[in-house]
Amino acid sequence: MNTVDEILDYAIDQEQQAADFYEDVAQRAETAGMKKILLDFSEEEKRHKRILLEVKTGEHELTPEQEVLDLKISDYLVEVEISDNITYQDALIIAMKRERAAYELYSDMAAKVPESHLKEVLEGLAIEEAKHKLFFEAEYDERVLMDN
Amino acid sequence: MSLKDLLSPFFVWQRAFEKPYTSKRPTIDRPGAPAYRGFHINIADTCVGCGSCHEICQNHAIDMVAVEKYEGKKGDSGLRPRFDYGRCCWCGLCVDICTAASLRMSNEYAWISDDPEVFHFTAGVDEKPWQDNEHGYRRAEGYHLYPPKRIEMEMLPPEKSVMSFDEVARGYDEQQAKKEADRCVECGICVATCPAHMDVPDYIHSIRDGDYEKGLQLMYRTNPFPATCGRICTRNCESVCPVGILGEPVAIRWLKRFIVDQVDKKDYQRILNEQITESEHKVAIIGAGPGGLSAAYYLRQQGHAVTVFEAQGAGGGMLRYGVPSYRLPDDELDKDIDYIVSLGVDIRYNTEVGKDITFEKLLEDYDALFMSTGLSVPSSMRIHGEDHPRVLSGLQVLADVANGRDPGIGKKVAVIGGGNVAMDAARVSRRYGAEVTILYRRRISEMPADEEEIHESQEEGCTIVQQAIPVEVVNAETQEQVSIRWGEAEMVDDPKGGRPRPVLQEDRMHMDTYDSIISAIGQGSNLNYLPKEIQEKLAVEWGKFTPGEYQHTALEKVFVGGDFANRTADAISAIEDGHHAARGINRFLNPDAYKETEQQVD
Repeated sequence: MNTVDEILDYAIDQEQQAADFYEDVAQRAETAGMKKILLDFSEEEKRHKRILLEVKTGEHELTPEQEVLDLKISDYLVEVEISDNITYQDALIIAMKRERAAYELYSDMAAKVPESHLKEVLEGLAIEEAKHKLFFEAEYDERVLMDN
Repeated sequence: MSLKDLLSPFFVWQRAFEKPYTSKRPTIDRPGAPAYRGFHINIADTCVGCGSCHEICQNHAIDMVAVEKYEGKKGDSGLRPRFDYGRCCWCGLCVDICTAASLRMSNEYAWISDDPEVFHFTAGVDEKPWQDNEHGYRRAEGYHLYPPKRIEMEMLPPEKSVMSFDEVARGYDEQQAKKEADRCVECGICVATCPAHMDVPDYIHSIRDGDYEKGLQLMYRTNPFPATCGRICTRNCESVCPVGILGEPVAIRWLKRFIVDQVDKKDYQRILNEQITESEHKVAIIGAGPGGLSAAYYLRQQGHAVTVFEAQGAGGGMLRYGVPSYRLPDDELDKDIDYIVSLGVDIRYNTEVGKDITFEKLLEDYDALFMSTGLSVPSSMRIHGEDHPRVLSGLQVLADVANGRDPGIGKKVAVIGGGNVAMDAARVSRRYGAEVTILYRRRISEMPADEEEIHESQEEGCTIVQQAIPVEVVNAETQEQVSIRWGEAEMVDDPKGGRPRPVLQEDRMHMDTYDSIISAIGQGSNLNYLPKEIQEKLAVEWGKFTPGEYQHTALEKVFVGGDFANRTADAISAIEDGHHAARGINRFLNPDAYKETEQQVD
């Protein structure tokens, strides 16, 4: 992956894979409520994908200079194994950890390339993933850590 | 006719050239004295529409009217006072009683119009030139028609309270209760805010009248757990009491408790005098907590045969196994439960649905079903090392204590969390002689626990470390101990207006060792008793049920309520859910009766 388009294609593919992943987990979930939540997660990933498609066509611009709050919630949580009776807490942990991994991937890649448009795009992608992570971490903070 | 009579009309004409005795219109503007009691001013944005001005007005010159700009909401009736100057005698009592200090009087006194219908107006809403008048009558600084401070409740001193599980709040005596009842302005804003819509002003009035039997009757109309709620209610009512704007809110919870304390349990049957006509319907209830038993009470009133299935050996749910007896003694909870049972409610204790009897069997055998099994599963922190044997759950510790078992916490304890379960786990630990540290992610002011509980836990010697985020549980040097690594947090404002969020500061980490760590960060529901295909059909969002009208679910016969079906997860909301579901079940079982009523209304 050396060009901006290749990187964007990769990122778009990753978002689609994430959407497929949540749909797959939703199929396995036992309760209608959890199915709906997981399908909502899948829709969120599809929204991310649409944004990246717009970036590719020049309709949307990534903003690498923006700083995104890192609540660091997911950093210290234990990995979750996907099961049929997945809970909302499990689903959020999975989502947070996936977004964190994506953020780290783009950040590492950006650190390795010299100053260029490509670097800016990678940094922009990292910021996008950090925003997604914040979305799920804020949800975890609000819904799971209610008494804490 | 005399000559004088003939000339007199002409003498009158000479007056036409003299200075007149009356004023010409428009009048010469003569300002009122600075403290003159003239037309009313209301700061309508500050006013909460409590209507105390309307109540106190001796001339019935004030009506409370709906105003488009102000919608009824928590703590605001949405009404504003409308003055009739054909009746007002300018006494200023309305200004003196105003709970929000929004009402005052200008020193304007002239309002001229040919139309007698115009001399009434809604102050602060209808534009008038005197609204910004700086003179006139104001209530003197510090002057109150009612005492701004509530009558203090006698509490066990902390050094004594930690020595036993005796009830900490000792209760009002009659004189104290009457004095406190006198502070109520009977506005009823509390009624709208109470989840169960208890008739607070009227039962407080019954204390003034010394008619406690009437008070008890009024409370049972909306709440069959008055002894319990008189002790541990979350007091939404007090949070909106307008007397609390300039002083302390009326101690509604303690007054409720006072009424119940005056009535002997054996007199309940006679006082409440329930006339039950048996119906042919059978209803099953899962869970004998406040939601389940509230539904049982109101269903029984309708004559339905009610059977409650309870996994534990006694009723009350979280009230018994999650609220320690120093806040709610067992005999007070039993006072409420025993009366419900006395109406013929059959509670099958030690009967777990899904194990001792199947859910499907209940669906088959009963005409309707109400589920209220609450939030009984402690949430897990999901941090590394959490499965250490010295990490205990707050709910388990409280249940052990309720069952008379030693929770085995040791002498140095950390409690994780900031809710009521965390505070109670901490206070229980103090009573077992432990040194207690509470670690909480946010600031004390953001703790979801009742303010009173936080204060009392501190008074009893618990140390609260705020902005402390646990990140890992680690083995200590001995197996009898456990260490926890936690980091300090900085609070960051939520741009969307939510609670400020704690952000871990990884350069400020700490490691402490304890005999046990009690985790109390929240609870979830246990729906394992429901078959998969049933779970599929029930609407569950964010781990909770989202019932429809009258607590009905997507399943024809099934209604839900209580902590796992509402956002507040407190006893009073569960009680209302049970009451509301009972109405729904009654409609469901007697559709024709309701159809007729609805047609009559049409």
